[in-house]
Amino acid sequence: MRKYRWQAPLTLVFIVLGIFLSLQYQSQNLIGSDLSMQRTENLIAMVRGLSEKRQKLALEIVDLNMHFNSQQNSYLDESKLAENLISDMNKMSFLTGSTTLNGAGLIITIGQSMPILYIDIIDIVNELWAAGAEAITINEVRINGQSVIFYTEDDYSMYITINNTRLEFPVVIKALGEPNNLEKGLTLPGGIIDTLALFKAYPILEKSNSLTMPPVFNQPSHIFLSEYKPPEQTAATEPAKTP
Amino acid sequence: MWLLPLFGLIAGALVGSTISFQVPPIYVKYMSVALLASLDSVLGGIRSILDKHFDGAVLLSGFFANALLAALLAYLGDLLGVDLYYAAVFAFGVRLFQNLASIRHHILTKFRKRREELR
Repeated sequence: MRKYRWQAPLTLVFIVLGIFLSLQYQSQNLIGSDLSMQRTENLIAMVRGLSEKRQKLALEIVDLNMHFNSQQNSYLDESKLAENLISDMNKMSFLTGSTTLNGAGLIITIGQSMPILYIDIIDIVNELWAAGAEAITINEVRINGQSVIFYTEDDYSMYITINNTRLEFPVVIKALGEPNNLEKGLTLPGGIIDTLALFKAYPILEKSNSLTMPPVFNQPSHIFLSEYKPPEQTAATEPAKTP
Repeated sequence: MWLLPLFGLIAGALVGSTISFQVPPIYVKYMSVALLASLDSVLGGIRSILDKHFDGAVLLSGFFANALLAALLAYLGDLLGVDLYYAAVFAFGVRLFQNLASIRHHILTKFRKRREELR
């Protein structure tokens, strides 16, 4: 019996080791499925991937809606057709920024003391679009596809400009959209708010249920634009064979 | 003779899987170092059995003290901003493989001796 006196302590140790291994395995499995324990880089990649997917799906919904409308319209009478056209026109005017808008959204206020560059304003606007903003203004200047955010400088200092107009502090950026999504888009780990905090800039975020946005000041002109229609291909236009 | 500890390991794993206690996610990292340290102690114990200088008190004290100290040091390292976690993983990892190599050598030598005896 003395020969095997190691059995009792080793068995005891093995029992505890078994419990340890089992608990650790369970905990590790839990971590694998817990978002809060993922690495920041992975989370950012996941958020980016999901928001890209969401945008693609949103575009698909728009396409399908348009298809549905066109199918429906073919059965409708003229008055209904006109009504639909007016409704579409209203939607288009929202998108082109030709009307005053109102809705819920997020207000970002950047004070005088914060060291902000024009590129930071562009980053904030880009993040807001990515987070699902439907309309954005910076100091009551509506942002659209033709907006220019840049900088100018005189003998004394450098200024941020929006559409070549000097931006006065405090800078107030308003975005229409789901306020929680917009806030999360800016405050996600490693996002724009985290980056600005490194430079001691702490923009104030405030959710609002009623934001009013002015229309675009200078409506873009479309003089040279025309829709491209590919030339019709016929059998006669096959390329000649070379000898 | 090795069956009893093996059954102990299986019984421990079964008990662990039935326990509903969950290690809080922030402590899982320290738990893993503790596990590595205890695994090293166990392999050290097996090695000492094969080398015929086993001491139960050394195994038991080493098993619990190493695990506790490894986890504590890793935690302290995190508090002080020094990654002692990696130092513990490296130290116990190296010892673990040394013990494994020694056990393997022992088993091989025993196997060869027995074969020669049979001839």
